[in-house]
Order: sequence, then structure tokens, then C-alpha cells
Amino acid sequence: MTDTQAAPATPSKTSALRSGLASAEIDSRMVGMILATAVIWISFNLLSDGDFLTARNLWNLSVQSTSIAIMATGMVLIIVSRNIDLSVGSLLGFLGYVMAMVQTRWIPNTFDLGLERWYTWIVALAVGLALGALVGAFQGFLVGYIKIPAFIVTLGGLLIWRGLIFRFEQGQTLSPLDSTFGRLGGGGADGSLGDWKSWLVGGIACALIIASVVLSRRRRQRYDLPLRPMWLDVGIAVLGCAVVVAGIGLVANRYISPITGSPTGIAYPVVILIMVTILMTFLARRRQFGRYVYAYGGNPEAAELGGINTRKVVMMTFVLMGVLCAVSAAVQTARLDAAVTNLGVTNELDVISAAVIGGTSFAGGIGTIPGAVLGAVIMQSLRSGMVLLKVDSPTQDVVVGLVLIVAVGLDSTLRKGAK
Amino acid sequence: MRARHVASVAVAAGLVLAACGSDDDTASDDSTATEDTEASGGEGGDCVVGVSWNNFQEERWGKFDEPAMKAAIEAGGGSYVSNDAKSSAETQASNVENLVAQGANAIVVLAQDGEAIIPSVQAAIAEGVPVIAYDRLIEDPDVLYLTFDNQLVGEMQAQALFDIQPTGNWVVIKGNSADANADFLRSGAEKVIGEAVAAGDIVIVGEDYTDNWDPAIAQTTMEGFLTAENNEIDVALVQNDGMAGGVIAALDAQGLAGQVPVSGQDGDQAALNRVALGTQSVDVWKDARELGTAAGEAAIALCANPDPASVEGAGPFTTPGGNEVSSIFLEPIPITQENLNLVVEAGWISEEDLCQGVEAGTVAACP
Repeated sequence: MTDTQAAPATPSKTSALRSGLASAEIDSRMVGMILATAVIWISFNLLSDGDFLTARNLWNLSVQSTSIAIMATGMVLIIVSRNIDLSVGSLLGFLGYVMAMVQTRWIPNTFDLGLERWYTWIVALAVGLALGALVGAFQGFLVGYIKIPAFIVTLGGLLIWRGLIFRFEQGQTLSPLDSTFGRLGGGGADGSLGDWKSWLVGGIACALIIASVVLSRRRRQRYDLPLRPMWLDVGIAVLGCAVVVAGIGLVANRYISPITGSPTGIAYPVVILIMVTILMTFLARRRQFGRYVYAYGGNPEAAELGGINTRKVVMMTFVLMGVLCAVSAAVQTARLDAAVTNLGVTNELDVISAAVIGGTSFAGGIGTIPGAVLGAVIMQSLRSGMVLLKVDSPTQDVVVGLVLIVAVGLDSTLRKGAK
Repeated sequence: MRARHVASVAVAAGLVLAACGSDDDTASDDSTATEDTEASGGEGGDCVVGVSWNNFQEERWGKFDEPAMKAAIEAGGGSYVSNDAKSSAETQASNVENLVAQGANAIVVLAQDGEAIIPSVQAAIAEGVPVIAYDRLIEDPDVLYLTFDNQLVGEMQAQALFDIQPTGNWVVIKGNSADANADFLRSGAEKVIGEAVAAGDIVIVGEDYTDNWDPAIAQTTMEGFLTAENNEIDVALVQNDGMAGGVIAALDAQGLAGQVPVSGQDGDQAALNRVALGTQSVDVWKDARELGTAAGEAAIALCANPDPASVEGAGPFTTPGGNEVSSIFLEPIPITQENLNLVVEAGWISEEDLCQGVEAGTVAACP
């Protein structure tokens, strides 16, 4: 899970462990985050008398993390290219409201086609995604081409998109939503994959992990790069598959649905998050666009002189962000089975925090997609762990704030130490 | 190429502005004071009531408050004059002065800014024109403050739930910790359940504030409470309708929606629909028409006697700012399945919206 930009150029006096990890193409920061997550989970489990590490709580945690995690994957690319997007919470609220308008007003009333059609959720989602891309393109154009600072453009967006919600229906709550659309939220009897489909997805995931290890080894062979020892590659593949099997066997399928009485399986929003993570990682690491983003973030002048169309690259990061906001908006409104005017308020702060805890640097050029997803999981673990312990929300805010500062402080100290 | 981009953005901006402008036009019919005396030709037209709305674009005021207020004023033999400040505190200040100049004998103010309006309110009172602070407080000792009793809302929420389930494990989902209203509502509820809690009949197994009254956060909180208590939660005292939606979604995921009594307030259409469906037990509702009628009647009374304390139903109230004002507090109405007909008859919600997804005949209001 390393990206080449993140690794220090020529480590002179790095610790043996660190250089060992680096030469094995393992991101030491990612390892550290996984360890931190383990510590948090075990601590909460001890404090809550075993309530935390139950299939039910971990399943809830997986669903609760998705919305922020999905947006955080996009925020990584925005921050890597030295920008910021403060509008994501408002945009999520706006897109969620529009998608709900499609389902509860426009299709049934304006077009007089009735509720609960087979195509309702598809149209709603398509409108949301298209509008998200459009809004992203608008903001990205202003940042990339007109060169208005992203902070200003998206601060404006934060006010605009939230304000526009009140242009529809005076901003009253729209509920209930289409029942098929509701499955995107993971609630109810049919919001997850169930027993055998979860194993099918697990099988595919395991195959993908093995394929990526094999392909990476072939690629390195082809370019005569140093190879990881065979045992390590086998170990990584086995470990990856073990995590998948444990996730399904010990969490998703162990959690018996209180409604149907059978194994719940992986929730649809979590399936969406996994697909988004894979796609975004592929885009960031294997496609030209991703390499341009990191190159631009690492050194904008050099990238521009190197012939990269930096304006377009910047604009595209915002388009992606807009689309991801629409995905998160669908998940959140579906989960709540309602669109409300204050949906996603202050989500921009959670999304930025998740990316930053996940190792994304404001200096540009540094940050990984899986790191941001794990960052979102860590933040949500703290929140739901404290709810389990009945810690009130003002205290939760204090703890999460401290963790944010400590995490980033540790990270930058370690990074300096490595140089 | 670039110039064309800029031009198209400019055109788009122009369109946006034009769209906003056209909205203003529809509302500006009210901004030039309209006098309806001639039309109604009242014999007792000696009482002119001037009303300063802060923002008539918000649907509620024109749909519910104004017609009720106007009807009450005309029934009392007075006449109605109004203007619209369009969300501007400065405009509202001059609007109040204009109403005095137009010869209003009593003024009703829905304040945009309860502080900024004080000088013009004081000027009006100095000229002998009494002022009613409508729905929102104006910190001046000489106004008549007319609003719904917000503390009573918390009491009514708890009472409705207590009537259904007076014992067992309760959770309390409160609003924003920075919003004084959340604590008002909680203290109202305490009046009802305090004794049972002290006696151990009710155990509060979870209680938390909710940032920004955000339904999604309320949902996550409720999921945590349900996990920690292994679903053994008997009642959810929730402070508004939005959060009640989140809590009910969390209950629904456990197959418990409709089995655990849940409260709310605001009269949201979605929440009233849930009351009809049986997933929400009570929705404390403030009927805006009632407020309008009360204001109209109070204004007529003030024409006869400009002393606020003389108005029927007025009592002393100490404001957060430390002023002693005369005030009239209206009682909100707790809406349950039994009295859902009230919201339909009031035109607050259509029967179609109220009864969406409700099996016909299960609730009296949904035949």
C-alpha cells in the first residue's frame, strides 16, 4: 500500500525495520494505523465489558463509517493537489435533497408516474451523480481555470448548496423514500447481501488480492526491480484473504438480522465503499490521471513545465469529489430514509479529518486512499465506542479533537525523523 | 475560449440573480403597504393594525399566520395593514416607522432581529402605539410578547410517552448542547418523569445531546444505545421530529419500529405520517393559525386600552435579558393517532400526505 511519493527519497539513517518495510513495499504508516485501530478496538472492548468487539457493533461501525469514508477517498486527491473542499457537507445535503425530490415529488407528482416504480431509485441516483459531477465541474473550473483559491470557492459552495435546499418545498423533511433506494442505506431486512452472496463477494475479493500480488510481482520482474521475498508475497496474499474471511465469517454473517433471523451479510453501503476504494486506489496509483495528481501536488511548477494539463487535472479532482458526494448522499439519505435540511452539516470537517488522520499531508503530494478509509474508520470507532460507554457528545468532541492533533503531530514528527 | 467561459459564467450568474429577483417580485406586493379597509369597509374601522413581517417569502406566514390574524382583526372591526422587511433588519426598522406614520393604532412585529428593532419599537410606543412581539421576543419591557410555551413542549412529550409506558428503560435524545431550547425541553420533561426516575421506576439508560439536531447523528447515537442495552429500551424521549426520524430508522433496523414509543415536535409532514403509521407516538404541534388569531384579538384589545397588562390572558414574564414584559403563552397541542384529524382540518397537511402507506381504516384520520 505504499505510494512512491510517500516514501522518503533516499533514506540515510532510517531504522532497520523501517527500511525493511520500505524495501518490501509496505507502507509503515499504514501498519502503524492498523496497530492504532487494534489498540482502540481492544481498549473499548475492555471498557465496555465486551460490547465493542461484537458482530453487531462492528457491523454497525462498518455502516456508520461508509459515508465519511467514501468522501474521504476523494478528499485525498483534492488535498494531495494542494487544494481543499469545504463544500462537501453542504453538497451532500443538497444532492441528498434533490435525490429525495426526484423520488417523492418529481416522479410521482410532477410526472404523475406514481411511487415505488422499478426505475425510481435508478433515476434518483443518476440525477444525483450527474448533478454532483456538474457542481464539481463548476467548482473545479473556478479553482483550476479561473484560479480562485479553492478555500474561497468551496467556502462559497458551503453556503450556496445548503441555502439552495430551502428553494425546494421550504426545506421540509422528505420521507419516506423509495424502498429499493432505501436498500443503499443498509437498514431493514434487505439492506445487505445475506449469507451466500457475502461469501461470493468475499471470494471475488480474495481472488483480486491474489491477482494484484501476482501482477505486481510480474511487473517488478519485467522492469528488473528488486523483488519481495516469495514468502512475504505469499504471506500478504494469505493475510489479505484471512482478513476477508474473518470479516465475513466473524462479523457480517455472524450478525443475525433481528428482522429475518438469518445471517445479515455485508451491508450494501459497505459493498459500495469497497468498490469505491478499489476504483479510487486504481485511479490514483495505476492511471495517468492519478500520477498527474501526485506529481502536481509534489511540485506544481515542475508538473506544469513537464507538460501536464494541470488545470484539467485540478478540475477533475473536484468532479470526482462531486460524484463521491452524491454516492455518500445516497447512502446517508437511504440510511435515514429521509432527506432533511441539516443532512451532512459539518461533515466537511469529518472528511478532512479522516483524510489527514489517514496520512494525507497539507504540504501536497502525499496521501493514500486506503489510509483515508482507515482514518474514517478510526474516527467512527472513537465516536461509537464512546456512545457505547455513554460518554456525552461534548466530551466526544474533545476526545476526537485531541486524537486528530496527536495523530497528525506524531505523523509529522516521525516523518521528520525518517529524513 | 477562456473569454467565452467567463462570459457563460457571467450569463449563468445573471440568470441566477434574475431568478432570485423574480421571487422578490412576488413578495414585494406586500412591501408597499396594502390597506384593506376600503374593501372590508368596516364600521368600526377606527382600529388600524399594522403588521411588520420579517420575511414573507417563508411559506408559513402567508399561508397560516396572516389569514388567521387578518380574520381576527376584521372580526373585531379593525383593519389590516402590512409590510415585508425581506429579512433585512434595517428595512424592518423603517417599516415599523412607516406603519406609525400610516396611522396604525397597534403594531404587530415578527422581528428579524430582536435587538436591532428596539429603537423603532420604542419610538412607536412613545407615540402611544402599543406593540406586540409576535412569535419572537423583543427585549423591551413595554411590548406584549405572544408565543407558544416552549417549556410545555418538553412536558407534553414526556407526558404522552409516560401515559403509554410509565416504567422501564428510557433513553433521552436531546438537541444541540449549545441551544438553550434543548435544556428547556429537558427540564419540562423532568417535571413529568422526575419522580418516577427518583423512585427507580424509570431508568435513564442513555442520554445525549445531538450536534446541530442532526438526525443522522441521532440515528448513530440510538444504534449505540440499542447495542449497549441489547435492545432492552422501552421508551425514546426525542426532542424534535427530525431526530425522531433518525431514532426510528435505528429502531427499524432492529425490527423495533412501532414497538418503542418515540416523541417529537414541529408537526413535520413526515413525522405526522409516522404518527399515522404508528412508528412515532406523539408530535407536539404548534398551530400557527392559533397564534395569528391570538395576535389579531390582542391587537384589537390594545386599540381600546394600550396597556399590554390589560389584555386578556396576559401575565408577567421575565425575559432572558432581565426585562419584565407582559406575555401570552399559547399551549401547543400533542398530536397522537387519536387527534390526527386536527392537523388535517387545520389544512396543515393533506389527508393524502398524512395517510401515505397507512392501511385504510387503521387510524380514524385515514378512512
